[in-house]
Amino acid sequence: MATALELRSGRLRRPPAAPVRPRRGRRERRVVVVARHVVLIIATALFFGPFVWMILTSLKSSSSALVYPPTLLPHHWHFGNYLDVFRAAPFGTFYLNSIIQAVASTIGQVVTSALAGYAFARLRFPGRQLIFFILLGALLVPFQVVFVPLVHLLAALHWLNSYEGLIIPNIPSIFGAFLFRQFFMSFPAELEDAAAVDGAGILRRFISVVAPLSRGTAGAFAILAFIYNWNNFFYQFIIVNTNRYMTVQLGLVLFQSQQTASEFNLLMAASTIAVIPVLIVFLVFQRQIVRGIMLGGLK
Amino acid sequence: MEDKRSGGGVSRREEIIAGYAFVAPTAVLLSLFYFVPLIETFYYSFTKWDPASVTPAHYVGLANYRQLGGSVGFLPAVLHTLVYLAFTVPISVAVGLGLAMLLNRPFRGSGIYRTLVFTPYIAPIVGSALVFSYILSPLGGIANDLLSAFGIHPINFLAENPWAMIWLIIFSIWQVAGFNMVIYLAALASVPEVYYEAAEMDGARFFARFRHITWPLIWPSTLFLLVIGVVNSIQVFTQVYALTGGGPIDSTWTVIYWIYQEDFVYFNGGLATAGSVVLFLVGMILTLLQLRFLGRRRVEMMS
Repeated sequence: MATALELRSGRLRRPPAAPVRPRRGRRERRVVVVARHVVLIIATALFFGPFVWMILTSLKSSSSALVYPPTLLPHHWHFGNYLDVFRAAPFGTFYLNSIIQAVASTIGQVVTSALAGYAFARLRFPGRQLIFFILLGALLVPFQVVFVPLVHLLAALHWLNSYEGLIIPNIPSIFGAFLFRQFFMSFPAELEDAAAVDGAGILRRFISVVAPLSRGTAGAFAILAFIYNWNNFFYQFIIVNTNRYMTVQLGLVLFQSQQTASEFNLLMAASTIAVIPVLIVFLVFQRQIVRGIMLGGLK
Repeated sequence: MEDKRSGGGVSRREEIIAGYAFVAPTAVLLSLFYFVPLIETFYYSFTKWDPASVTPAHYVGLANYRQLGGSVGFLPAVLHTLVYLAFTVPISVAVGLGLAMLLNRPFRGSGIYRTLVFTPYIAPIVGSALVFSYILSPLGGIANDLLSAFGIHPINFLAENPWAMIWLIIFSIWQVAGFNMVIYLAALASVPEVYYEAAEMDGARFFARFRHITWPLIWPSTLFLLVIGVVNSIQVFTQVYALTGGGPIDSTWTVIYWIYQEDFVYFNGGLATAGSVVLFLVGMILTLLQLRFLGRRRVEMMS
């Protein structure tokens, strides 16, 4: 299954041993298989069902979103709901802000992390270990512990309600530096030495030889970072409170507060607008995402 | 640490300069936007500080910390956070493990199940919370439609006690279980098959195999998930803000919510940062306790 989550563990999986205990018959196993599917179908309905419900409701009329008993499919498909959402609130601006914020943060994270990871793995300079462990210490401090003074620092810089504020403090990534350090530590030195013989300097060598070869790691990290940045509500929430710089997440909260409770079809359309980009990125890149999460999670 | 790189072609001096230059963007930005505010958090927690005025903060010793105990809302916020944590963490880890056990061996369709169950973890919380508030709405929400099929009157789940907290917990479990599953799937895949084969020869049944082989071998992952589960739970904000807004009254107020309110609404910067410091210390203590008591168990079992 090409698009399925594949945990690269094939090597460890051998075909199951032939049943040793004849007691456990074919029928018993069949019951187990069916029971497992039943449990998993219920689990899938609970975990993924809300998204299906969201999309279907987003295409209903406002009265059929409230009708009892509820119907699964819309009577008429109201694609115009999406236009209404864009008309009711500046979701175009919100989208643009989210994209600028997420893309710029991601690029910054990838570039600075790759540079730092490379230096920590391959360059010798005094204090290398010390600096690395101090930076690693930041992982122990939740962002929520530093946000009060940070907001006042950013206010002093006039970075609240600005792209600078949304992007620049987000850029340093310890997780990213760690990921790239692990990668470069297992990177064959010979490849670099070939370039060194040509007399290329370190930066030159990094750009022309090392960076292109680390595309796999950079890609996996970039995808994770993009999703993280897109979803990073709390940070955006404390930085921005004007429409001009609101992201999709903030705009969604704003939109919700402006709607009357009965307009669930429009609310679900707005919700779909916020969820869909991440959902698409996830479905396309799920293998890299899962691998990245496991690398970060299991260190 | 052994250095694999041979220095050919580059002078020692150039290497040192490049080393600092490559690390600088991360180190400088992190210092400015993380380490400096961290130190400031500790500093301001000992001061009376109004972040909205130009009056400089002045030292008041431990007054803020003494005030925390008596302050309206802080202790309830701590209590709500602990209740939230006590249910969310163990249940989401158990659900993740259950899903991973069901999906460990590949079979037709297992990939689809994995993908769909994992989706809530990567979806934006604000969007998911909005869907939940529709499902739970007393007006046309399917949860209440189901109840009325059994003749039960609609319940305003997100505005009634204790339903708001219960649904906040369920929502958070729903959101994070897929992540726990992925971590457990990796752990389960690394348990050598020969162990199970040997156990099967001995006639060990499923629960015996699970207890004596699987559980001890995946314990490091369990410990990891418990530790990060606790760290994430004590700083929960977005789920609360998007789903219940802290209500009804203040029944789902959590610590971060309280800190946010003190600083951004009441401008008690000193009191807010004292709350941050307490949160930080509680997080550290809970993490160390878990590593100390739960980490040792693993060693005993593995030896």
